Parts: sequence; structure tokens; C-alpha cells
Amino acid sequence: MKKFLVGIILALSLLLVWAITLWQPSGTQSGIHSPLGLAEVPRGGDFTLHSPSGPLALHDLKGKVVLLYFGYTFCPDICPTSLGFTSQALASLDKDELDKVQMLFVTVDPERDKLDKLKTYTAYFHPSIVGLSGTPEEIAKVAKLYGASYAKQNTASAGGYVVDHSAYTYVIAPDGSLFKALDHGTPPAQVVEAIRAAMQMK
Amino acid sequence: MTDKFHSIRIAACILGTLIAAPALAGSAAESVSANDPFVRLAPPGMTNTGAFMVLKNADSKDHKVVKAESTVAKATELHTHTNEGGVMKMRPVKDIEIKSKGEAVLKPGSLHVMLIGLKQDIKEGDNVAITLTFEDGSSKKVEAPVRKIQTEMKMEMMHDHEGMKH
Repeated sequence: MKKFLVGIILALSLLLVWAITLWQPSGTQSGIHSPLGLAEVPRGGDFTLHSPSGPLALHDLKGKVVLLYFGYTFCPDICPTSLGFTSQALASLDKDELDKVQMLFVTVDPERDKLDKLKTYTAYFHPSIVGLSGTPEEIAKVAKLYGASYAKQNTASAGGYVVDHSAYTYVIAPDGSLFKALDHGTPPAQVVEAIRAAMQMK
Repeated sequence: MTDKFHSIRIAACILGTLIAAPALAGSAAESVSANDPFVRLAPPGMTNTGAFMVLKNADSKDHKVVKAESTVAKATELHTHTNEGGVMKMRPVKDIEIKSKGEAVLKPGSLHVMLIGLKQDIKEGDNVAITLTFEDGSSKKVEAPVRKIQTEMKMEMMHDHEGMKH
């Protein structure tokens, strides 16, 4: 009898052990969690980074609406989606409008994203997009101005590290001031709307 | 100490039964269908991309995809994206659950099959074979056509349009 009771207790405790160790109701996600908020309130401002055809400063683009995005080419999903939407917006502008718009893609992974790679990457989405890189310090400075945040994360993935990053598209008015930050996944029609509204800011 | 060891063996037996039981009632691969699969065409020179699809589970039990494999990539993994206060985080996940009579949507910005280190140039219109393995060991081969992001977006807009008509 005693043996039987011990058996039941053992079985129940086993179930408990199983529940604690293996049953994960919310557990589809594994990985590292680190608090990573937006670094700063976006203020905007002038900067200089390196493009495939030499240094490029925001003030060189005065008179144009600038779309600024921070991402990395390894990103298989978020960046292509953002760039896909933006390039569709660019494609729907007429030629005069397009001449007054410049999309910039700033890499947050300068270690892997060399300028020639950035050039091929951006051209795939739209020929007018320019990729920018710099030293980690230079990039961090620009990101801070716009409140973009990113952090390299090691994961168990065979692809090596990933970079967590904010995915806003910053719309900069022709005078160089920050006009608006568009959320990730903003549909092309709304991007066009924001571009046209920014053009009115003289 | 011996008790603990004994416990582990019994736990293994219980687990074994739990895992084996579903096999008798039709495999996960038979219950789960993969709808509208596609692989996003990687931009030139880029060696990683994602595969997306809607997994539907017709069974009265929950199922899980525990592994994805494809010969086109050096590694194939299950990943997800989370948006935490505007910050996008991509992470590998150990499985993708498909609830009983429910679906798991693998789409850009969310769950996806990540193809890492593409061994060959894949072109728009090619079909990429992806094998999904479920928790009961059953597996399913999915043929996913390669789509350019522009095509993908056009199709999405068409879907939205259809949705609005209804």
C-alpha cells in the first residue's frame, strides 16, 4: 500500500517536473531579450557620411525632400519591405517630383555592408536610392540625431549576428529640418503623401 | 539520486507516449496544409531570404513545425520578428505552433522560414522546395515559387482589393 502511494506521488511529481521543464505555453520565442528603446527623441540635423561615390552631406541635398532609413542588407525581411514600399512611392512620382527627392539608406552594419554591396542592394529597389556608410562612431552620431536605434545581437542562427533596429523612414524637408517619421510598413500612397507635404515646406 | 534517475526514465516514457499518440490519429503532415507559399527573391548579391506561407491545421489537435530544410540554402531556420516599441528584432524560434482548426501565418515582418547562405542564384518564377518537419516526425514538402518583392506587393494589394469588395 505504502509502495503504491509512493508510486502515485512519484508519478505526480514527474508530471510536475515535466510541466516545469518542458511545457512552455508562451514559448515559441527563444533568444536574447534586452531592453532597447528608441535612443533619443528625433531632432534631425546635418550630417556627413560616405556614399559609393564619395562623401555626402545632408546640406548637399538642400532643396530636396530627403527620405532617410537605417537598416542593413543582411536583413531579409524588414528592410526589403520598407525599401519596397518606398521604391513604389518613388516610382509613382512624376519626373519633376522625383528630381526633388533623395532616398538615403544608412547601414547599421558597416562591418558587413561595404559600399559596393550597398550600391547593388539599393539599386535593386530604385536606381535613385543612395547607400551610406561610415565608421561605427559616425553612424551612431547620425542615428542619435534622428532617434534611430540599433544593436548587434548574437543569436543561435547559422547566419551569424543580426542587428535589431528601428525601422522608421525619416522625411526631411527641403530646408534640412526633420518633417516626419513614417512607421515601418507605411503604404506607398501614404509615403507619397508625406513626400508631397514635405515639398510644401520651404 | 537513483530516484531522480528513475524519475527521468519514467518521464521519458510518458513523453514518448505523448509524442507517439498523435501518430495513430493521422500525422501532423496530413492535417496541416501549406497555402500560398512563396520565397522572396533576394536582391542581387544577397545570400539570405525568407519563405512565407499560411499553415492551416484541420486537426482537432495542435501541431508544431519543428524544422525546415531546403537544399537551396546552407542553413534553413525558423525565425520570427517582433516589433518592440518600433525596434525590429529577428530571432530564431524552436518551433511554429499551429493551433487546432487554426492557422499560423508566415509573412514579412513576422514568422518566416529563413534561408541562409543561398547556394545558387534563384530567379523569379523558380520553385524552391522546402521540407517542413512536424512534432510527430512526419514531414511535408512545400514548393514555393520565387517572387520579387514588387510582385509580392502587387499581389497583396490585389488581395486587399478583393477583401474590400466583400
